Amino acid sequence: MPQLRPLAVNLLFLSLLMCAAGCGEKSQSDKATMSGGTGGGESAAGEKVLRIPMASDGPKSLDPVKGSTVYENRCASQVLETLLQYKYLKRPFELEPLLLEEMPQVSDDGLTFTFKLKQGVRFHDDACFPDGQGRELVAADVLYSWKRIADSSQGSKVGWIFEDTIKGFSDYRDEQNAADKFDYDADLAGLKIVNDHEFQVILEQPASRFLWTLAMFQTAVVPREAVEKYGSRFGLHPVGTGPFTLAESDWRQGQSIKFRKNPNYHEMLYPSEHMPEDVDEGLTEAAGKRIPFLDAVEITFEPKSEPMWLNFRNGKYDFTTVPAENFDEAFNRRTKKVRRNMTEQGIRGYPVVLLDFIFRGFNMEDPLLGGYTEKTKKLRQAISLALDWDETNEAFYNGLNTIYDGPIPPGMAGHPEGGNTDASYRGLNLERAKKLMAEAGYPGGEGLPTLDYYSGRGANSQPQSEMLQQQLSRIGVQINVHLLDFSTLIQTVDNKKAQFFSFAWGSDYPDAENNLALFYGPNEAPKPNHFNYKNEEYDNLYRQIFSMQASDERTSIMEQMRDIVLEDCPYAGSMARTRFYLVRDRLKNFKPIETFDNWYKYLDVE
Amino acid sequence: MWAYLIRRLVYNIPVFIGILLLVMLALRVRDPVYAFLGKNVSEETIEARREEFGLNRPLLLARPSESQFGRFVTQVFTLDFTEESWDYPGQTVGEIMGRCVGPSLALSIPALVLTTLISVSISLFSAWFRGRWIDQALVISAVIGMSISFLVYIIFGQYFGAFLLPELTGYETFAINGYVHPSETTWSEYFTYYWPHHCLLPVLISVIVGMGYDTRFYRAVMVEESGRDYITTARAKGASQLRVMFVHMLKNAMIPIITRVAITIPFLITGSFLLETYFSIPGMGRQLILAVEHADFPIVQAFTAVFAGLYIVVNLLTDVLYALVDPRVRLS
Repeated sequence: MPQLRPLAVNLLFLSLLMCAAGCGEKSQSDKATMSGGTGGGESAAGEKVLRIPMASDGPKSLDPVKGSTVYENRCASQVLETLLQYKYLKRPFELEPLLLEEMPQVSDDGLTFTFKLKQGVRFHDDACFPDGQGRELVAADVLYSWKRIADSSQGSKVGWIFEDTIKGFSDYRDEQNAADKFDYDADLAGLKIVNDHEFQVILEQPASRFLWTLAMFQTAVVPREAVEKYGSRFGLHPVGTGPFTLAESDWRQGQSIKFRKNPNYHEMLYPSEHMPEDVDEGLTEAAGKRIPFLDAVEITFEPKSEPMWLNFRNGKYDFTTVPAENFDEAFNRRTKKVRRNMTEQGIRGYPVVLLDFIFRGFNMEDPLLGGYTEKTKKLRQAISLALDWDETNEAFYNGLNTIYDGPIPPGMAGHPEGGNTDASYRGLNLERAKKLMAEAGYPGGEGLPTLDYYSGRGANSQPQSEMLQQQLSRIGVQINVHLLDFSTLIQTVDNKKAQFFSFAWGSDYPDAENNLALFYGPNEAPKPNHFNYKNEEYDNLYRQIFSMQASDERTSIMEQMRDIVLEDCPYAGSMARTRFYLVRDRLKNFKPIETFDNWYKYLDVE
Repeated sequence: MWAYLIRRLVYNIPVFIGILLLVMLALRVRDPVYAFLGKNVSEETIEARREEFGLNRPLLLARPSESQFGRFVTQVFTLDFTEESWDYPGQTVGEIMGRCVGPSLALSIPALVLTTLISVSISLFSAWFRGRWIDQALVISAVIGMSISFLVYIIFGQYFGAFLLPELTGYETFAINGYVHPSETTWSEYFTYYWPHHCLLPVLISVIVGMGYDTRFYRAVMVEESGRDYITTARAKGASQLRVMFVHMLKNAMIPIITRVAITIPFLITGSFLLETYFSIPGMGRQLILAVEHADFPIVQAFTAVFAGLYIVVNLLTDVLYALVDPRVRLS
């Protein structure tokens, strides 16, 4: 065995030589092919390719009824289309037709919606169709796609979308799932086909959220032929009407996914409607031009932020979100402006406030913390007043998050002006907190048993819980911290066993009704009212806004509801995250938003 | 030897079945369907999924074809991994495992071979100079090397190898994502370009991390062997230092070396979660952790069974190897 050492060294040398010789040359040519030397943009073949990272392991399924995560939404939205979409440049958010000729006609009683599908919209060319050519979209496709949401064998996670909304949806779901075979051709009382391009939806009661849900990717339209041909693999081989197509071989599981331009995409133009500031940003120059501009979109999955950041710095991506630990490298913390060394490299920065509601919740059925007596209410208010959200924001989020009062995030009607309202018991106000503790019968925390606090086990959970412990100790409240994995946390909260817990809600659509539903009595756990909060007055108001269209009156009722919740204090909060984007100059028409995800079709690269 | 092997295999069958039972019980402590479906799910949906996944069947007390345990044991012994993953609809457990084993082995086999060869070589060198400054310097280096976190090596390795190096040289020598599977290219291109481009940096990091531990262990073995009587005898008979070390000492040190390498073999397919995650290599380590995180029950269950089986087989093969390298060991 005397050759052991030389062999090891030789192996190492050989590998290094191979690498130096092979990689060096190849990577040069790869770089040229991939990125024109400095990242995304036009490839050597003249293709316009958008290259971006996705801070995750990637989506699991692009089947709209199975998908539920933001990553699945982002990818599915490039391939599949919904009846409605958000106006790309308009704020606050508004809906517009996508697969429709016009916005639906609504009957006077607000119960019947008549939809006219756009003519000439074709599904992607795919082997599921005769001759492999995509056929035209018809009304039956919409009904089939929505009925899939009711089919429990499809593994739908979004049954709530049409529950209590479309007339007869729940009955249809129960009957068909109980039957031997789910019959998609059976009648559903609230869905009627008028002709190939026209259909009607009848609602159980007027529902303001109905139109918003028609822009959610879970309601996207898919062809029956593809679902039947590919079965459970449809999520790997989605077929839709979107601006991009996806071949199964272009999805490298856990690594990357590449969408290619749909050559038969129906006529869609870059929007003309915009905000005044969009002109200076150069967002209006492409107005009226046919989209999409890109030949392909390549998304690389980056589960860890460090390599994602290095790859962006190396010029491999056209835009990225900035990892918290790299914030100071990219932005000036005080001014929130991009640093000069970045701008010199042609990089711009954008902050995007998310529709987040991050809070600490109380179980209103807990004998100690819950209930609606003055004593328990004051105890919760005192705890809320002792929490210093600004300190948490500074310590864990570089002070970049938005702290606000109430459950309605910034950017939605009903959000208090400046984020503050007098009805709030948001901290820090130790003096008032101590006074309320005494009024609740626990002066200085005396006589109050240790509370059980439950939180998910994340990167910052331990230090955040310690900070919470320390903040509450100032008014004499002691907590036992239980850090659980996410599914156990959900189970504990759903079973109403969590006394005090940390949770967050990301709004499904930009209407405060979505957030106010979190406090609606009939939605108690395991539904989204994790607080098990019940207030008759609140519930009546919720039913009222549920049926109303957006108006000042509706906003005023929502503000009233917000203040009722603030007074009863079933939670302490609130905070919304801010995401910072860095964008390379060659990327055009970029207006970042995370409320919807089908906007890559508007982007262009120089 | 064959009689021994067959006897040991038969003895191990109840052990393996016991492990499978423990795995099944452990995975059912918490309702797997609830853990998977997440928040805001109705009882009806949970029931429907439980039925779909066969979790409403009796665990043990039923005919083998009807009990969960009977079905699972049958699946494992017939290598039937056609059950669909919960987290990746449309993909079977076998398909996912098959896809991930290759990338894991592309990292772990070269790392194991290089680490072992280098560590054994350094330990022989160290034992040769036992007690002198070279030996002490090597021991101190090994201790320092093993005291630094794996994550630190990865982050610095990526920064220097994949960011600073291309900045300085203009050559993108190492990549930190975009692993290419051999099936996507030719084998020659894979070995001459893609493997070194995507895997060499993580392999080198893995070798550097592993060297600290292994060198200390192998050095202790070598030092112990160098004090034995047969070494003194060999020297007294005039054997050269090289002959003493490589013919006598190394051969007698093979048992602990084989043991250490053998216990590592089952872990080759489990891959390295950290390396695979940071270098975007779609291997088993990353997949298994994702499956645990997302309560992907079929993947976790099948993978644990395969791992247990592999462990038993490798243990058996290690015993055979002992007999091959040490004539004093008899398989009977």
